[in-house]
Amino acid sequence: MTPSPLAQAVGDLDEQTAVALVEEKLAKGEAALGILEELQAGMNIVGERFESGEYYLSELIYAADIFKKAGAPLQEELKSATQASYGTLVLGTVKNDIHDFGKDIVATVMSSNGIKVVDLGVNVEHQAFVDAIKEHQPELVGMSCLLTTVFEDMKEAIRTIEAAGLRDQVKVLIGGGPVDEATREFVGADYYCKTAQDGVAVAKQILGVK
Amino acid sequence: MGQMAPPPLFIERMTRLKTAVACGTPDRVPLSLVMDLFAARIMGVKFSDFASDVDVAGRTMLAALEKLGDVDSLQFATYAPDVLGMLWLAPMKIPGRELPEDSQWQMDEQVRIQPEDYDRILEMGWSPWFGEYIGKHLGYAAAAGAALQEAGPRWAMEYMKKGYVIFSPMTIDHPFEHLAGGRTVKEFTLDLFKMPDKVQAVLDVMMAEKREQALHTVRAVGPMGYLVGSWRTAPEFLSPKLWDRFVWPYMKELVEIVAEEGGTPVLHYDANWDREIERLKELPARRCVLELDGKTDIFRAKEILAGHMCILGDVPPALLTLGTVEEVRAYCRRLLTEVGPDGFIMAMGCALPPDAKFENVKAMVDSVQG
Repeated sequence: MTPSPLAQAVGDLDEQTAVALVEEKLAKGEAALGILEELQAGMNIVGERFESGEYYLSELIYAADIFKKAGAPLQEELKSATQASYGTLVLGTVKNDIHDFGKDIVATVMSSNGIKVVDLGVNVEHQAFVDAIKEHQPELVGMSCLLTTVFEDMKEAIRTIEAAGLRDQVKVLIGGGPVDEATREFVGADYYCKTAQDGVAVAKQILGVK
Repeated sequence: MGQMAPPPLFIERMTRLKTAVACGTPDRVPLSLVMDLFAARIMGVKFSDFASDVDVAGRTMLAALEKLGDVDSLQFATYAPDVLGMLWLAPMKIPGRELPEDSQWQMDEQVRIQPEDYDRILEMGWSPWFGEYIGKHLGYAAAAGAALQEAGPRWAMEYMKKGYVIFSPMTIDHPFEHLAGGRTVKEFTLDLFKMPDKVQAVLDVMMAEKREQALHTVRAVGPMGYLVGSWRTAPEFLSPKLWDRFVWPYMKELVEIVAEEGGTPVLHYDANWDREIERLKELPARRCVLELDGKTDIFRAKEILAGHMCILGDVPPALLTLGTVEEVRAYCRRLLTEVGPDGFIMAMGCALPPDAKFENVKAMVDSVQG
């Protein structure tokens, strides 16, 4: 299917055109939800180009910024829409680690791909993940770290979710500098995401998004 | 300080390292470590004491080396984590000061450089602007830099007396790393798209000073290893278009200056460099050391750079922390045969994690003995 001009503009990182097209569509009275879907289709193009090696993290960051800027005028109308996101991700850097670089990028990229992000910040207490799951009922929990010394904390956070009887309700995605498949196994997470775009692909797969 | 003749063990180890740097085959593969809090942990020193006193750090790392066995070299003689603030323009949080006593230090990255600072750097020049910035944000970092400048050579001498080579104690910083740290990766990346010409002009102003500083430093300090590192400049993070413009020309020039003046550029390249490994052939042959952290395919790098560049690395930190002795041994065997025995220095990826298992590190150290 040929992408719409708006989706194409986002995919091509053409900020000016994307912003102008959204304004034009709103002026014509088009529904915010439909415009949002076009913006998300644009982010799909960005994701495909990342997968093919044409785009890198730098382009993911810029595309997410374009998405946010172009989508800003839609926010008021979207508040009342029920289907504005595919699902929810509770996200945080685990206890004893204050690094937010990777976590922030994941939040930005996930948000611009239609996933509502509840960002708990850094140095997140294990119980805070549990409280957030109870409050927001997410399908996904994302945990990040940059230090090998907090692998135990990541494991403990997941164990705390399990002890609260919530483990079956969520899929746990992990990522960060030293994290790998062996870490996933050690901490008991469901998925290891090498890049932010990996996270998007996994999240969409779990949420059944085509 | 009077000059002392290096002991035979030091000369033996230095020869081994130099042979590897020149892509030759030494009597055995040399070993080089970066250790900080790992040393504190295995020697029972409080992290807060280690992080706040360069002499405690120097003494602890030396004792840890002796405990580990036949290690040829350490990359730094002593350490003060606050000094990392001078690289990424962000203050550090230190155990016993901002963090609990036995936790790992961490960088407090926030948006401290605003877009208007670019104009100020262009108007004032880099050093005057940086002086003001240090005053506002990096008091501890500047003090740590001064302490290391005094203690580094003193401790290098202590290591030499015991036969250990301090391999790459000096650093030459890429201007991109400063801006990405002080501005945050996300904001700085957006600047590369939204105001590329201005960012490049700022990098050029910084580079004019960096060029002179690098030249004078290598001339003054002499022929040793100079760490020319890459963290946020890794190809993994930037598309070729951005990387070719904002990273590589500056990196290449800094490396060339160090090599031309007789130093050994140690390319401490964290994150994934697979895409640009071929480019490293543009750097001076048999003069540099490529230091990988486990994220780049070191085996492929060897295939491409064999005979051109010595490779150092890359037992992954997570393997040292979570793996078994047998897994570490198997990985080291593969390194020794596929990346060595010529032009190879055995090492951990990046630095030994504080919680690495002692027996795993010991297995890595012992692996070079055959």
